[in-house]
Amino acid sequence: MTYPTNKAAIVGVYTTKQARSLDRTSVSLQIEALKGALDDAGLDYKDVDGIVSFDPSPYGKPPTDPFWPVGFMFWAEQLGERPLTYTDFSLASGALAKAAAAIGSGLCNVVALVWGKSRWKLNPKDTPVPDRAPRVDDFSFELAGAHYSTWYALWAQRYMYEFGATSEDLAQVAINNRYHATLNPDSIMGPRGLLSVDDVVNSRMIADPLHLLDCALDNDGGYAIIIASAEVARNCRKKPVRILGGAEAFFTDFYISVDDPWFPEDGKAVAKVGNMAFGMAGVTRDDIDVAGLYDCFTITMLRDLEELGFCKRGEAADFVREGHTRLGGKMPCNTDGGMLSNSANAFPSGMHAIEVVRQLRGQCGLRQVPNAKIGLSLSQGYAVHGLAGAVIMAVD
Amino acid sequence: MTYLKPLPKIDPSNEPFWNGLRTHKFLVPRCDDCGDFNWVPYPACRSCLSEHQTWTEVSGRAVIYSYSIAYGGAGAWSAEVPYGIILGKLEERPRSLLVLASSVGIPLNSLRIGMPIKIAFEDIPSEGLTLYRWTAA
Repeated sequence: MTYPTNKAAIVGVYTTKQARSLDRTSVSLQIEALKGALDDAGLDYKDVDGIVSFDPSPYGKPPTDPFWPVGFMFWAEQLGERPLTYTDFSLASGALAKAAAAIGSGLCNVVALVWGKSRWKLNPKDTPVPDRAPRVDDFSFELAGAHYSTWYALWAQRYMYEFGATSEDLAQVAINNRYHATLNPDSIMGPRGLLSVDDVVNSRMIADPLHLLDCALDNDGGYAIIIASAEVARNCRKKPVRILGGAEAFFTDFYISVDDPWFPEDGKAVAKVGNMAFGMAGVTRDDIDVAGLYDCFTITMLRDLEELGFCKRGEAADFVREGHTRLGGKMPCNTDGGMLSNSANAFPSGMHAIEVVRQLRGQCGLRQVPNAKIGLSLSQGYAVHGLAGAVIMAVD
Repeated sequence: MTYLKPLPKIDPSNEPFWNGLRTHKFLVPRCDDCGDFNWVPYPACRSCLSEHQTWTEVSGRAVIYSYSIAYGGAGAWSAEVPYGIILGKLEERPRSLLVLASSVGIPLNSLRIGMPIKIAFEDIPSEGLTLYRWTAA
């Protein structure tokens, strides 16, 4: 069996305002994003027959039973008892690849991927001191006082040890992505201007060896992506961005342990889905004109470049330093500023895909990659490479 | 003083582990069929999927596989910053067991990958529980 390359396309994208905090509900951002992306495509909500949602409870009511697919039931009802024949809660790049496969096999025609978040934060300081000791899952990282940043710090520390990388190396990613943010009028950090190595390594330590400017933002915002069959795409408003291939893989449980080695030569989840995506798409690493890589921390984007095969293990910092990931380089990455300098709205994986779509459509203004035809986006989450999804897209 | 940091939910599947800690033994599920040690505990062996596992005391001796120093913490951990977090590699083999815990009694500026460490037991009498941490060997 082969992947249904070119049988589906991204036809609509939309991003709401992204800001430190928004005086909106999460579901309001999601509805705005859905309508905006459908309008971008020239489709109606009645055309939607598939939903990808990371939100188990968009209406703000906690699920009464964790096994109930309440998020999907909410959308079926909200869209007017719409029969949803495809549902998924994968992160964006993997979700797009899987939705395209579902469309290509006839399960559905128009899939909407929707996210929006406001009024809650990932930052540990937003967890108040309780009145009594909270009970957590038996081997949760919370027992060790760990949180997301510390897990990525453990990863970075080990990477620096094994490959001789330095804080100055990690800083290259922050500098690269901030430069792009300064060219993106919608980015949160662009107005702060360019960064130097000193700015990054002298910023406040969050979790040794990660400094403040090695870490993603923690902001509110929403987005939506509409993916449709090639037939539907022909009549949409914008140039279709065809899906060539992609996949998603889970690799670990939720931040509780890892296997040694942490940096095997063959890679882990990202390498797996990257190799699958390139195989399906029939393109090479050199064919990628623009990429959206996961950059929750500077270390993450370095490892993405290595695991995806754009450079060797331990060489990603030099790859970035040499300008290959910068506008004007051979494969500009995170041209919107990424999670480090554009937006990180708790489930920001769709932002990376949307930026690649806008690049392929030629909508990026000052930060446009000239003549971009083939792009790749990568999503991750739920642990240090606990989940990865890749998708390769192209325009005519 | 009231203990306010997170504590484990204990149920029949993990109770032997937490009972072991109370007697200052660190127990991990060892596979009766293939002999591999498993961490974190799972219902079946991660090497051969056998459900026949026995809670077995390990040495507690390890080296630092990686570490971080947290300058912010969630909830009651925020009162302890900065504190060390260690991923320790136990000496048991063949498959490495990487155990995550906070550090105790190690000067933060002396933390190094490869440094010998051992499991420390922290009794919390008010909760009738013992937790595990990493300390210098």
